[in-house]
Amino acid sequence: MKRNERAARTGSFLKAAAILAAGLFSGNAAAGFYNDGKVLLTGGVATIDGAGGGGITPWAVINGYGTRDGINGSLHYTYAYLPNYSLNSYGASVGLYDRLELSFTRSTLPTGSTFDTVGLIAGLLPGAVGDTGIEPFNTTIEMDVFGAKLRLFGDAVYTSDSLIPQVSIGGFYKDNKNKDLLTTLQAAKRKDWEAYVSVTKVYFPFSTLINLTGRYTSANQTGLTGFGYKDRTNGGSGKKDDKKEMRLEVSIATLVAKNTAFGAEYAQHGTTLDNVGVNLNGIGTGQLVGAITDALGPVTDVAGVSLDHLDDTLTQHEDDWYDLFFAYAPNKRISFVVAYAMLGNITLTPDQHGFYLSTHLTF
Amino acid sequence: MNRKSVTATLLAAALLSGAAMQSAFAAEEKTNPVPGIPSNTLEMWGGKDGVHEWAVALFHYIMLDTRINFLFKEFGNPERQIFLNTQLETMVLGGPNEYQGASMTAAHADLNINMEQFNAVVEAAYNACERINLHYWTCNQVIAALAPFTDDIVTR
Repeated sequence: MKRNERAARTGSFLKAAAILAAGLFSGNAAAGFYNDGKVLLTGGVATIDGAGGGGITPWAVINGYGTRDGINGSLHYTYAYLPNYSLNSYGASVGLYDRLELSFTRSTLPTGSTFDTVGLIAGLLPGAVGDTGIEPFNTTIEMDVFGAKLRLFGDAVYTSDSLIPQVSIGGFYKDNKNKDLLTTLQAAKRKDWEAYVSVTKVYFPFSTLINLTGRYTSANQTGLTGFGYKDRTNGGSGKKDDKKEMRLEVSIATLVAKNTAFGAEYAQHGTTLDNVGVNLNGIGTGQLVGAITDALGPVTDVAGVSLDHLDDTLTQHEDDWYDLFFAYAPNKRISFVVAYAMLGNITLTPDQHGFYLSTHLTF
Repeated sequence: MNRKSVTATLLAAALLSGAAMQSAFAAEEKTNPVPGIPSNTLEMWGGKDGVHEWAVALFHYIMLDTRINFLFKEFGNPERQIFLNTQLETMVLGGPNEYQGASMTAAHADLNINMEQFNAVVEAAYNACERINLHYWTCNQVIAALAPFTDDIVTR
C-alpha cells in the first residue's frame, strides 16, 4: 500500500471517529444518553485490540465511564517500541448502558531489519519469486479489528460480599490487509474471528483487580501474522491447521490510589506457526538457504554471523506475551498507561521486549 | 405545600438519613465482604473519632457535588446524617452496632437514586479519605464494607 494512500485512510478514519464521537456521545445533542458516572478507572483502559481491559487482555468491564443509565465513548492510541517492530494501535469504542461495548481499532506494525533482510533476499534470488509482501524496507503490517462485548451478569466493583465476578463474552473480527506477506509466512487465513469470555472482580480489601480471560482463537501474534498455518511448499496443497483453541489470559492490578494502578498481564499465544519457515512463493526455507549458500559460494559468514544458522533466521517462532504496567487517570477524560512488554519471539525476530505507551480519551 | 407533599418530604428526609427512624434496635447489620476486612481496620481509621472526621469530610464533599447535593439539601439534615453515618461506618468497620437509623433499603426506597449518584458518593468517600490523610488501602475497607448496600440504595 502506498504511503500517501495509507495516510489518507488513517486521516479519514480519525476524522470519522472524531465526528462520530462529537456528534453522538457528547454535548447537548445527546445529553439524555450521555453518562460518565462510573468511578475512576473502573471501566478499564483500552487493549491493543480496542476492547476495554488492560493492555493486551480484555476485561469483563464495559469500556468508558457510562453507567447502566447511559452511553460513553472513547478513543485510544497505543505505541509499543520493540527492537525490531513498532506497534501502533488506534481506534474508538462506545459503551452502551454498561451492557454492550462496540469497538473498532486499526493496528499497524512497521517491521524492521529482519523483514528488510528477507525482502532483500527475495529480491536477490535468481529468477522472479513474485510478490512476497515483504519489501527490502518499510514493510508494514496492517490489521483492522472490529469488537463487541456483552456483559452477562455480575458487578466487578460492588458485589464485595460475594465471590461472583462480573462475566462478559466478546468477540473480534480481524481483517489483516497483508495477503501476500501472510502467504509468505504460511498463515492459513488473513481474516478470522475470535471469541472470549472474561471474568473480572475487584477485591477492595486487597485493593486488587483480578481478571481471567479465555480466548478462543487461531491467531498468530494476535492476528498480525494471520491465523493458523497452511503449508505453501507444494502450491498450498499441503498440511493446513486453522483450528481455534482456547487460550488463557490473566491480568492482576493493584490499585495504589483512586487514580493509579500497577499490574501485570499474561496472554497465552499459539504455536501454529512455531518452527514454520518462510515460503517465498513456493520456495521453502530449505531451498532458500540452499540458493543463498550456492550464490555466496565459499562465504560462510556475513558480518560475523555464521550462515549455518540461516535456516533459523528464516524460521518463525511465537511466545506467550507478558507485560508490567502502570496506569494513571488524572481525571475521567484521559488516562495513560506505561508498560514494559515482554513479547519474546515475534515471527522471525527474538527478544522483542520494549516499552509501551497508551492513552485513552473518554467523553 | 400540601399535606401529601409535606408527608413525602418528611418521609424522604427520614429515609435518606434514617433520622426519623431512630430506634433502640439497629436496623442494619454488619456486612460480610469477601474476603473479610482486617480486624484492626477500625483502629487504623482512628476509631469512632476517626470515622466521625471522615463523615464530616464526606458530607463536605457531597454538598459540593452538584450531581448529588440537591438530594441532601432537599431531604437531608447533614448533622444528623454525619451522626448516623459515623455509627454505620463504625459498625461495618468492626465496631459495635450502635446504628440508630433506618435500614439502607428503607432509607433510600423513594429517593430514586441512580448509579451515577451512588458513584458520586463513592468519589466523595475517597476525597474524604484523602482529606483526613487516610491511606487509600485503608479507605478501601469502608468501600468493601459498604458496597453490599449498593442494591439497597440504587433503585433506578
